[in-house]
Amino acid sequence: MALSGLDIYKLLPKTNCRECGFVTCLAFAMQLVKRQALPEKCPYLSEQAKSALDAASRPPIKLVVIGEGEDKLEIGNETVMFRHEEKFHHPTGLGFIIEDGLSSEEILKTVNKINALSFERIGCLLRPNLIAIKQNGDASVFAAAVKLVKEHTNLGLVLISKDASAQRSALEIAACGKPLIYGLDKNNLEAFTKLAVEFKVPLVVSLQDLSELSAVAGKLIAQGVEDLILDTGNKNIAEKIWDLTQIRRRGLYRSERSLGFPTIVTIEDSADRFDPILEAATYIAKYAGVVLIKANEPWQALSLLTLRQNIYTDPQRPLQVESKLYPIGNTSDKSPVLITTNFSLSYYTVLGEVEASKIPAYIMTIDTEGMSVLTAWAAEKFTPESISAAIDKYGLKEQVCHKQLVIPGYVAVMSGKLEDACGWQVAVGPKEASGIPSFLKNLQL
Amino acid sequence: MKKLKVTFYPENKSIEIEKGKTILAAAISAHIYINSSCGGDGVCGRCKIILNKGEVISQPSGRLSPEQRKHGYYLACQTLVESDLEVLIPPESRLELDKLTQEEVDLRLKGLYSKAEEVGPPQSLIKEGIFRHSPLATKLYLELTPPDHTDRISDLERVLRHIRQNYDVKVIQIGLVNIRRLGSLLRDSDWKVTVTLGKRNGTTEIVLVEPGDTSEKNYGLCFDIGTTTISAQLIDLKTKKILGTKATYNRQASFGSDIITRIIYAREEDGLEKLHHAVIDTMNEMIKELVRENCVDLNDVNCILCAGNTTMVHLLLRVDPTYIRREPYVSTANFVPTIRANEAGIKINPRGLLSCVPGVSSYVGGDISAGILACGLDKEEEVCLLIDIGTNGEIVVGNKEFLISAAASAGPAFEGSGLSCGTRAARGAIQKVKISPKDFEVSFNVIKDVKPIGICGSGYIDIVSQMLKAGLIDKEGKFKQVKSSRLRKSDIGNEFILVFSGDSGTGSDIVVSEADIENIKRAKAAIFAASAILIEQLSLKFGDIDKVFIAGGFGTYLDMENAVSIGLLPDIERKKFIFVGNSSLAGAREVLLSYEAMKSITEIAKKVTYLELSIESRYMDEYMAAMFFPHTDKSRFPNMKE
Amino acid sequence: MAELVYQKWSGKINETIIGAGPLSIKIGAEEGLPFLFKEGKIPNQPRIAFEVWDIAPADWPDELAGQYKDVFNNPLEWAGKCVQEYQAQAICLRLQGAHPDFGNKSAEEEARLIKDLLKALDVPLIILGCGDDNKDNEVLPVCSQAASGKRCLIGSAVGDNYRTLAVAVLADGHSIIAESPIDINIAKQLNILISDMGIPLERIVINPTIGALGYGLEYAYSIMERARLAALAGDKMMAMPFICFVGQETWRAKEAKAGEKEFPQWGPEAERGVAWESVTAVALLQAGADLLVMRHPKAIDCVRKYIEVSFKDNI
Repeated sequence: MALSGLDIYKLLPKTNCRECGFVTCLAFAMQLVKRQALPEKCPYLSEQAKSALDAASRPPIKLVVIGEGEDKLEIGNETVMFRHEEKFHHPTGLGFIIEDGLSSEEILKTVNKINALSFERIGCLLRPNLIAIKQNGDASVFAAAVKLVKEHTNLGLVLISKDASAQRSALEIAACGKPLIYGLDKNNLEAFTKLAVEFKVPLVVSLQDLSELSAVAGKLIAQGVEDLILDTGNKNIAEKIWDLTQIRRRGLYRSERSLGFPTIVTIEDSADRFDPILEAATYIAKYAGVVLIKANEPWQALSLLTLRQNIYTDPQRPLQVESKLYPIGNTSDKSPVLITTNFSLSYYTVLGEVEASKIPAYIMTIDTEGMSVLTAWAAEKFTPESISAAIDKYGLKEQVCHKQLVIPGYVAVMSGKLEDACGWQVAVGPKEASGIPSFLKNLQL
Repeated sequence: MKKLKVTFYPENKSIEIEKGKTILAAAISAHIYINSSCGGDGVCGRCKIILNKGEVISQPSGRLSPEQRKHGYYLACQTLVESDLEVLIPPESRLELDKLTQEEVDLRLKGLYSKAEEVGPPQSLIKEGIFRHSPLATKLYLELTPPDHTDRISDLERVLRHIRQNYDVKVIQIGLVNIRRLGSLLRDSDWKVTVTLGKRNGTTEIVLVEPGDTSEKNYGLCFDIGTTTISAQLIDLKTKKILGTKATYNRQASFGSDIITRIIYAREEDGLEKLHHAVIDTMNEMIKELVRENCVDLNDVNCILCAGNTTMVHLLLRVDPTYIRREPYVSTANFVPTIRANEAGIKINPRGLLSCVPGVSSYVGGDISAGILACGLDKEEEVCLLIDIGTNGEIVVGNKEFLISAAASAGPAFEGSGLSCGTRAARGAIQKVKISPKDFEVSFNVIKDVKPIGICGSGYIDIVSQMLKAGLIDKEGKFKQVKSSRLRKSDIGNEFILVFSGDSGTGSDIVVSEADIENIKRAKAAIFAASAILIEQLSLKFGDIDKVFIAGGFGTYLDMENAVSIGLLPDIERKKFIFVGNSSLAGAREVLLSYEAMKSITEIAKKVTYLELSIESRYMDEYMAAMFFPHTDKSRFPNMKE
Repeated sequence: MAELVYQKWSGKINETIIGAGPLSIKIGAEEGLPFLFKEGKIPNQPRIAFEVWDIAPADWPDELAGQYKDVFNNPLEWAGKCVQEYQAQAICLRLQGAHPDFGNKSAEEEARLIKDLLKALDVPLIILGCGDDNKDNEVLPVCSQAASGKRCLIGSAVGDNYRTLAVAVLADGHSIIAESPIDINIAKQLNILISDMGIPLERIVINPTIGALGYGLEYAYSIMERARLAALAGDKMMAMPFICFVGQETWRAKEAKAGEKEFPQWGPEAERGVAWESVTAVALLQAGADLLVMRHPKAIDCVRKYIEVSFKDNI
């Protein structure tokens, strides 16, 4: 159960010795609560305090790793139901399903298509994480498909088959890449457990009913199989949301160990190109650890990966845009230049209003480490010096023929100093971005 | 560069200055202090002057009305000297250096205001006898046995032996200056001398040796160095008696009203030097007055104890404060060793000592350590809250087990600064206001019962509270569409005329604008949000708080009920509120008088945990929630009726 | 151990009725979190309104504008097409043409359009101003009066400018959209201010100012989740349904409007734009959106199907 800062403080020596690097024991305790410091930092912890802290800091939802190397996927370790409470820690793994019945050329083509799905947004590379091979026929066909895929991708693999012998032959090829085995049900429980133990790979437990799921997972834990991922099978959207919510709640609120694992959802294929995407979007928002889907068009992947990026952004750490000079619309050397910070929301808000104004303009974003205008000003990140430096760095003189800058209304106070520092004339813009269109309309260059 | 002559009136004080400097710079060199909240950026419009004669180059400013421009008004910071000038400084632009009256100071320092009857009689915060009397500087009168053939130890050893044998003191240091003089001094005074001992950083040194018995004359000073106001007391160190008290504006206000602006200014050419001189000028002038009024010889003032926020202490000692403002907000020193006062440019006995109360962090300084000591927060059994409302609002929560603090940049609104008709709580300030909900008629009370010249912090609290109750403004602080001859629209927005020009002491209307209300709202929101975050960090609720100490240079009156109704103070049992006034000065005095208190306060400063609000993601949220009257979450103010 | 975790909520969301006739819609009234039917009643499906302009929009990308090009210049026909061809459940009319920079139509002109539209339509009408405070204060009260008794939803009231609209809406029996800049406190403050003007709480709908997928979606997402949690925990000043302008935000995202030629690695823009709009919508539904204002008929169709499938057997 979660301890408060004061609870933890009471477990500490209270000597303010500063050996942990924090000025006081209370400051250290408050960082422990936020998991931004480790109890080991304190050399004087009593055994009793240690065990109490360990119990409190054990993640209620286990971290499970699929795959190996740089492209491995980590899921789990989640601590909250709602992202604003802290953040969602490990982004949903997105995987694409390939049927093993396809010809090797078709398989190869699909694998290459999936490998190529890679998009850059706001300084992050968005990529899928997994390729799932689904058995339709013979065990040998399955193994051959697994082999082919493995040879051509660095992504983690998911082996979908209820047939333990097919899994075994696939694992003999692919086990070193730590694939996820997906196909356990009531009938093959023993054989699959054996596989997971033998090959040391993570295992999906699939059962429709939550109580049964919990019971089976409990048995597996008892046998030492602890890299589990939970699945409640095909259900309609609302039921699925209910299951995912319950699993997360029971893990977090009840510390129910047998449900304290990440989850997986397989999206049923559909003739419609949009329905599966909307369903997948739902589960990315609502707690799924892995989503497997067949639809692998770039636009489909782009929208899902972007949603994942949004949902899994740390609410405490703002997203940043690249700091540079952005031409908006059909700019010329007479276009006005607006200055803002590289906090993504500041930029996008200004961008939206500049676009709405229909007046081509430049937006120059200053690197403020993602702080908003006022915060950055107070922290000396948004200063006449940093703006002057940016003017030179981004070659503003070469872009426009005038010498005027527009600064946000909230930092009107720096206008004089900025003029001195950079030699440009400074116009003070509106405080709120919504005033930009009419401001630009009346701006005299 | 050609020098030009600028003459300021009504002082008729002239100064030579290079062509192209601003009138503000000229005034500062002439030691004439003009209001300038923004530090010379041309934004605040408070440095208006009238040009009687001469040529200037001036930036156009929206802060001057066409009427004013016609009458020769300029902003001193935006106007460059082009020829010899004659400049008149109107009273409203003057950073007054006149002293608070003794009565005002007494009220302020006793810390108990008009609602005193509700919170009990004025009391000295620190109970007598908690700290043993052992002032920073002690005088001992010694009658030494002269040397002879049987007792041939050196003069210095003789002095030290005598002290060791007769007092429980181990002297460790003595300066060369004193040793050089010692031989003749002892013999000339017939071996009867007075030794001043000073406590320096854990050791005791001989500060001074004087002929004869001067042990009756041992004085010290304690200072509270605030961003806006500086207060001081002259203390008889032997009897612990307070001989005199002074308070005045910090002359650094000429370089900007808040700490951040001053830190920025310190980086300008000679900026640090100017800020340093502004504060020591202010202090030296106060010292001069205090010793003169009390017939004390400056040479008998042997020590000074200063409590101030970290930036003020840096500037006093001429230490660059730049890094306080930069992430991760680390100061150069929070614990400053005791030095000689003259090293800092403070004029007392040339060998006298200056000590600063240790601070907690860059934004929670020695003034707060002193406040904690004075309120006895570190001795409380139950969790208590200390709110120091100044230019920075500092909050401390804790008890004998733990102490945690935070600083909120509230701005100087509650000190009457940065508002269209704001003034400090002094003669002529409107301090209490009632507005009738029926016809919006106004009744008010003015300090010293003269014609009003402005409104002080407590007045603004009353006004906002009364306007809310009368339905003049909505909960956001915007004027509603009501009919009243007192409401009007000006170029800068809506305003309410509190006093018509005919009744005011300035000849102009005294108004409250929407922007003023916004300023008050921001200040109270910053303070409330900081308190709420600290309480929340400890998983406590306001209701769990046993006592709330309210400190700061608020003014002489504070209506608690109104302060709660605008959401400055939490809505908890009123009997838990204790107004403590200038707790920083009280704490500094205690440390001056007792070395035990010094040790205790050093422990306090080490013990306090500092929470940096700017990296606390919940702070902005709490702040926005508090940007409403009384608060967005009504359930936090259960006793406030609609 | 193995028991379901039900959360008990003391509050419920207000029910807002839009429209006066038999096709009026109800939004809100949830007694639990979105789609958790087993935990609290969710009597009303989220609704989707088609966005229609009084002038031909100049900046709608081709893929989107192409859907309406035959009716773009005639708001009556445009709205008619949405209802007849696409079975629109509601129309959201944006009076963009009243903006001083985009035609500067008079209040009377706009009021006449509203009258005509109300005469021609059976579905409920949402009316949006042009975004210029002064002009909206001139136009919206006249439009409100023209629609008197038709229980429209009119917006947007903002912190700096809510009184004029509130007075009109109150007098003419409509509901009001309270718009706040992605801040939960400002949202609540505005609700309090508007309700202080005498408007009943169930006639206020929150516009939390969403961002599109990839453009700050997560901010509004969390604000909505927080507001909903507060409302369900009993905060009456947060218990309003949400309206989300999904179309407006989506169709200015580069990913929705840029052509395949410009970004070949993104795939064809026809699907991309629809996906962008519908994924934005679905994510916001998870956060509690009650009324979506959208643009592309295909995206609207997808999201409507999604809602219907999720609500099947659950009401």
